[in-house]
Amino acid sequence: MFEIDTLCYHSKLREKNAEIKFAFTVLTLFICVWNRSIVIAAIVFATTGFLTVCVGGIPAARYIRLLCIPFFFLLLSTLTVVINFSKTPLSGYAICLGTFYITAGKDTILFAVQIFCTAFGSVSCLYFLSLSTPMTDLIAVLERLYCPSLFIELMLLIYRFLFVLAELASSISTAQKARLGNRNFRTSFSSFGALLSVLFIRAIQKSGRLYDAMESRCYDGTIRVLHQQYPVKRKELFLCIGYELLLLYFSWKGLP
Amino acid sequence: MSETILEAKHLYFSYDNDQTHSLNDFSLKIEKGKKIAVMGSNGSGKSTFFLCCNGIHRPSSGNLFFHGKEIGYSRRELLELRSNIGIVFQDPDNQLFSASVYEEISFGILNLGVSKDTARQAVSNIISKLEITPFQEKPTHALSGGQKKQVAIADILVMQPEILILDEPAASLDPKHTDIVRALIDQLSDNDMTILIATHDADYAFAWADEVVLIHEGSVLKSGTPLDVFSDTEALARTNLRPPSVLPLFQTLCRKHILSKELPVPRTLTELEQRLEALPDDAKKASSK
Repeated sequence: MFEIDTLCYHSKLREKNAEIKFAFTVLTLFICVWNRSIVIAAIVFATTGFLTVCVGGIPAARYIRLLCIPFFFLLLSTLTVVINFSKTPLSGYAICLGTFYITAGKDTILFAVQIFCTAFGSVSCLYFLSLSTPMTDLIAVLERLYCPSLFIELMLLIYRFLFVLAELASSISTAQKARLGNRNFRTSFSSFGALLSVLFIRAIQKSGRLYDAMESRCYDGTIRVLHQQYPVKRKELFLCIGYELLLLYFSWKGLP
Repeated sequence: MSETILEAKHLYFSYDNDQTHSLNDFSLKIEKGKKIAVMGSNGSGKSTFFLCCNGIHRPSSGNLFFHGKEIGYSRRELLELRSNIGIVFQDPDNQLFSASVYEEISFGILNLGVSKDTARQAVSNIISKLEITPFQEKPTHALSGGQKKQVAIADILVMQPEILILDEPAASLDPKHTDIVRALIDQLSDNDMTILIATHDADYAFAWADEVVLIHEGSVLKSGTPLDVFSDTEALARTNLRPPSVLPLFQTLCRKHILSKELPVPRTLTELEQRLEALPDDAKKASSK
């Protein structure tokens, strides 16, 4: 998560209008999932990958490494669809195991491939958004979409506190390691427990201090902040609309 | 005669239901436009006093006056007080809550009820004044300690308070960032703002402050001009402080008749060095003999 956050601040697409990026992602994701088509998923994967790496400037190696995490997860999940135990072999493939077969029908295999491609296309779509749009801009978009303010404020505070607490946890962990806190499984287990309890106490203390600091700046129960504005460019808007229309055309053609 | 902007009269405050007092009969007068260094050992009550000034803590007894009017604790009165007395906390991580620098700075001014356009203008001005532009779009967690401190100061300055309180502004900063923050404070001092700084740095307090306040066990032990306060070795020892390095050096040079006692006391080592450089060569030779 921290790597994604760091990378997105280096993306060349970071200063493009967040609403456009958000709309592009949501529409593309919707079309990709709705069609469950291998071709459309491949187009989505290629486009979002191109935008993220070639246009956004995210290093390809790091992008591929990030994709590997969901790739293996999706692969394992899809395998469960195509591995069936049956007494009779099915049309797709069959591996004989004595009186049983590990087998699946052609339709099932096609279905599994479609599911895998759709999920992977969707993941690349979400990576495009998260690797080009900082959380602050996403929060601003949600605010403009009239998301409940409580939800927005919670997102804002959780996002900020994740980093504060991660830094704290890292320094406590280093201090524990420096005193052989991770010498064996038993000490590691004990150190981890101590870390969690200290982290919990510190989180409460920090939240109290943060509240004081907010109160000292006239906080009245509602967090009001200004967001950076990046104007919408016509070219980007038309490109986005054109791309979505093209995807809709492909889905109307009923590609596999 | 200078106008008193803030006055504390016999303040008491306890964090543990009056078993111990963090503020113990604390009385102090602060004049408008003054630069005040508040000093004292750890746990002496400096931060507690600051939080009382801002209305975050309510003293269990005693009175606080702002512009001669007693501070009230209704929602409206507190908002008015907090818009006039800004406090920069010691640890910026306890102050910065927003995801980005720009959002963070806009928080205080929007709470004052100004329009978004006015707030946007004020935020842009303060960002440019405090040289925050290069990192204004960065997330707050990606800033260095010095940058976080700059943003924490900008957070308060954008609200244009009459009194600025800085709780150990140079704490855990490297010399370069300490200089940046101090240059910023000097810039503010020139604008006739009343500034209170909690610090343990006697050299800085001696060079910068118009008045030094020594706090010991929740009350004011001594206050006055830097020379008055730092000449009181007994008071300094009670508050775990050392005199500024320029003071004993100047006194030694005077005792050895190298410099005249009649001259004003230099406030920094650089000033003292310039005085020595300005001495005629004969005097230097005589002193070396």
